[in-house]
Order: sequence, then structure tokens, then C-alpha cells
Amino acid sequence: MLLKVTHLDAFYGDLQALHGVSIGVDAGESVALVGANGAGKTTFLKCVAGLIEQKHGSMVFAGNEISRAPAEAVARLGIALTPEGRMLFPSLNVEENLQMGGLSRRPGYWDLRRIYALFPLLAERRLQMPNTLSGGQQGLVAIGRALMANPRLLLCDEISLGLAPVAVDLIYTSFATIRAEGTAIVLVEQDVKRASAASDRIYCLLEGRVTLEGGSRDLEADVLTHAYFGT
Amino acid sequence: MVWLGTIINGVLLGGLYGLFGVGLALVFGVTRIVNIMHGEFIALSAFIALGISMLFPQVHPLLLIVPVVVISFGLGYALQALFINRAMRLPDPLAPLLLTFGLSVIVRNLMVETFGVSPRRIGQGDFAQLSIDLFGISIGVLPVVTLTLAIALFLALQFVLRRTEIGRIVRATADNAEVVRLMGVKPSAVYNIVMGLSFALAGIAGLMLALRTAFTPFSGVERLLISFEVVVLGGLGSFWGAMLGGIALGVAQLVGLRLNSNSGFLYGNLVFFVFVMLRPNGLFGARQ
Repeated sequence: MLLKVTHLDAFYGDLQALHGVSIGVDAGESVALVGANGAGKTTFLKCVAGLIEQKHGSMVFAGNEISRAPAEAVARLGIALTPEGRMLFPSLNVEENLQMGGLSRRPGYWDLRRIYALFPLLAERRLQMPNTLSGGQQGLVAIGRALMANPRLLLCDEISLGLAPVAVDLIYTSFATIRAEGTAIVLVEQDVKRASAASDRIYCLLEGRVTLEGGSRDLEADVLTHAYFGT
Repeated sequence: MVWLGTIINGVLLGGLYGLFGVGLALVFGVTRIVNIMHGEFIALSAFIALGISMLFPQVHPLLLIVPVVVISFGLGYALQALFINRAMRLPDPLAPLLLTFGLSVIVRNLMVETFGVSPRRIGQGDFAQLSIDLFGISIGVLPVVTLTLAIALFLALQFVLRRTEIGRIVRATADNAEVVRLMGVKPSAVYNIVMGLSFALAGIAGLMLALRTAFTPFSGVERLLISFEVVVLGGLGSFWGAMLGGIALGVAQLVGLRLNSNSGFLYGNLVFFVFVMLRPNGLFGARQ
């Protein structure tokens, strides 16, 4: 197993956001996390990426215990996160944003040339500033920046939020290529249909707990709805 | 002709003021810290330069730049690594500001204890007094060198920030210090380098000040106000703005002194005041 998280609790001050969450991801696998707002999906991704310090539990990534590792160390081990809201660097143009992703110098398939081949749109706009791009194009830059690190695990936090359906399609199509190069993906997604179509397995979170897990093809709609809303 | 000379000399003085401000602007732009110690460090580096020039009196004063830059960079780096990064981890955003304020008091008094309060200067006579006569206007060689150096440093800084990998990392860290961590960058390591660069610039400013005029341990704190005005005039975080802001203050001060020889820096402060009323975001600041 590439990532094995067991009994993870996470806190924001006195507020506990995750309660004993256990989630596993196999190498090359695609896993979707669904759940309502505030269910703890983003918190989980931030924990894995090392951005949240107040946590306990075990997180093993490719044989390394990472529950105490800072974000910089986690990144160098091969975990990349596209944060919620994409969080491109506004002072850097498209190409410079992508180059930031390649700083860890991890060897592998992805480089500038291959990112531009995957998203030819970015090649045309390589010298533009992020705020001159549409939301969908910014999403592509965010994914490209994460891929530049040649991650073994890509965490995508609501990458499709607020984007036009065409843009979302383009992003989800690229996931096939990304996985073909051996990168596992964890998707956080509000749209359950899209999440199950793009993943092998689904975890549903509710109020900081895993309420359901299963193969994306096997889950029945009403069971999922129950787990999603807790009704 | 007298007025033209005054304005030219004001522009030249502005080069020095620009140098005062640019290190402050750099640190503020990246870390959002207002470094109250900046002025003290200008004075301290003047003393450092004086010390080296006394050890090696045969060396041309301008060559002192090399050791001053190296020492200043090291001090800035160490200050950030040992103290300011810790203060930045505290939840209170005022902590780093108060820290630099406290350090400035300590450093100033240590300088008084060590060097005394009598005015000192470097390179007695010759180089500082050299001037050329241009169509009846007397222009000091040292101020010309200072302005040229300031412009060269501004260009170099601009190049490093725009065109190199470390510059890209600095700009990205200024944009979002959490997200750069996802790329394997440790923000505190970036801050160390930025503070080192800022101190190196302050060190050069201190050296040029020491070559130009007599200084005491209090020369820094007097220049801190100018440094702030330069940064605010230019628009926070803008380097060319800082340069132009410095020049505006330099011209205002010398024109003011010609109108009233007892005015000191009053006219510079007035220009600053009026300008901030009219354009609170500075020359190159983002318009709201």
C-alpha cells in the first residue's frame, strides 16, 4: 500500500476536525473522498501533505512514517497537493508557477515539455499571469505544477469547484494520462457522480468520520446518499 | 544655475536615500515585517566599515564594499535564523516588529558603549571632497558614485528577483508561504536569505553614508524615518518606487535647505506628508 492512514485525529485549536480516520491508497490507484461541507475532506488532505501539525495517528507513505514530517519533507517524498482554490502564485507567470512545482528535482516522466504536451493551452499562455487566465486554465496550471514534482501521490482538493463543465472534462480526462504514468490520485469532490466515475474506490466522510467505503462501481446510490447526509 | 545645481545634487542625494529604503522594502515585501532595526544596522555597518578601514588604511574606501557586504549578509542571515523566524511563528503579528524594536535599542546602546558618541568618518579628505565642475555646477564625485551604485544595485536586485530560480522562490514565498512548502521550500530558509540581502543593502548604504558625512551611533535611527518615507512614497514593496521616492526626498531636502538653511529635513517630511495625503498607496502601490 502506497499510503496507509490509521486512526487519524486532527484538530484546529480545541476543535476536533477528524475522528479516527483510516484511509488507504494503493500505488497507481484513484480514490475519491466525498462528503458535505465541513466533513473533513480538506483537513484530511492537509494532514497528509503535512500542513496540519495538531494531529495524532499513523500515516505511512511508501514505507516512511510521515505523521510528524513537515510539509517540505512530505513534498520531497513524492506527495503533491493542488490546494482548494488552486492557490497559484499571482506574481509568477504560468511557466514560473510550473517551475516552482519542479523544485524538489524528483526524477520522472513529467517535465515542462510533457506538461505542455498534456495541456497545449498552457504552452500558448506560458508567459501570461495567472489572473489573466480563466478558472479552468488556472486549474490546469495547478495540476501541472503538482505534476512537475513527479509525485507518487497526487492530492486534488475540489479542483473542479466553480469551473465550466468543459474545463472539468478536460481535467478529468488528464487523470487517465497521469495515472498511466504511475501516479496515484486522491480526489476530493462535491459531485458524487463525477467522483465515482473517476475513481476506483470511494470514501465518504461525515463530520470527521468515515461513514462508508467501497468500490466506486459497487456502491448503491441510496447507501451513498445515506452516508453522505447521515440521514 | 544655482537651482539646477541644487536639484542635481538632490537627485544624487536621493541615490543614498533610495539605498536606505530598498532593503526595508525588500524585507517588508517578502516577510511583511517592518524592520525597526534597519536604521541601527546602517549605523553599525558604518562602524564596521570604519573598523576595517583602520585595519587596512591603504585600501581604497570604495573597496570596503566587499567585506561590508559579506559581513552584513552574514549578520542579517543570522539575525533572521536565530531570532526573527522564532518571533514569526508566534500567533501575534506584532511580535517580530517588537523584537526588531527591542534589538534596535540594544544595538544602538551597544554602539554607544563601544564606539562613544563623538562623530567619526572614513577616508579623511581627498575622496569625499572630490568634485567635478560641470558648466559652473559643482558636482561631488562621491554622490555620483553613490547614485550609480544605487541604480546598479536596483538593476541587479531586479534581475535576481525576475530571472533566477532563487528570485522565483522569493516571489512565490512572498505570495503564499504555505503553498511553497508543498513544493519542498522551507519559508524560513527563504527569509534568512532575504534578510541577509536586506542587510547587505543596508551595509552598502551605511558605508556610503560614512564616506559622505560624519556619523555617530545615532545616525541610523535618524535615517530610519527617511527609510520609511522612501518605502511608503514608492509604494510598499516596490523597488523602483523606493528609488524615485528617495530622489524626491533628496531634491526636496536640498531645495528646502537652499530656501532656509535651518530647515533640516523639514521639506522632505512635508513632501512626504502631502504626497501621502494625495496618493496613500505610493507611486507604484496597487490602487484600491
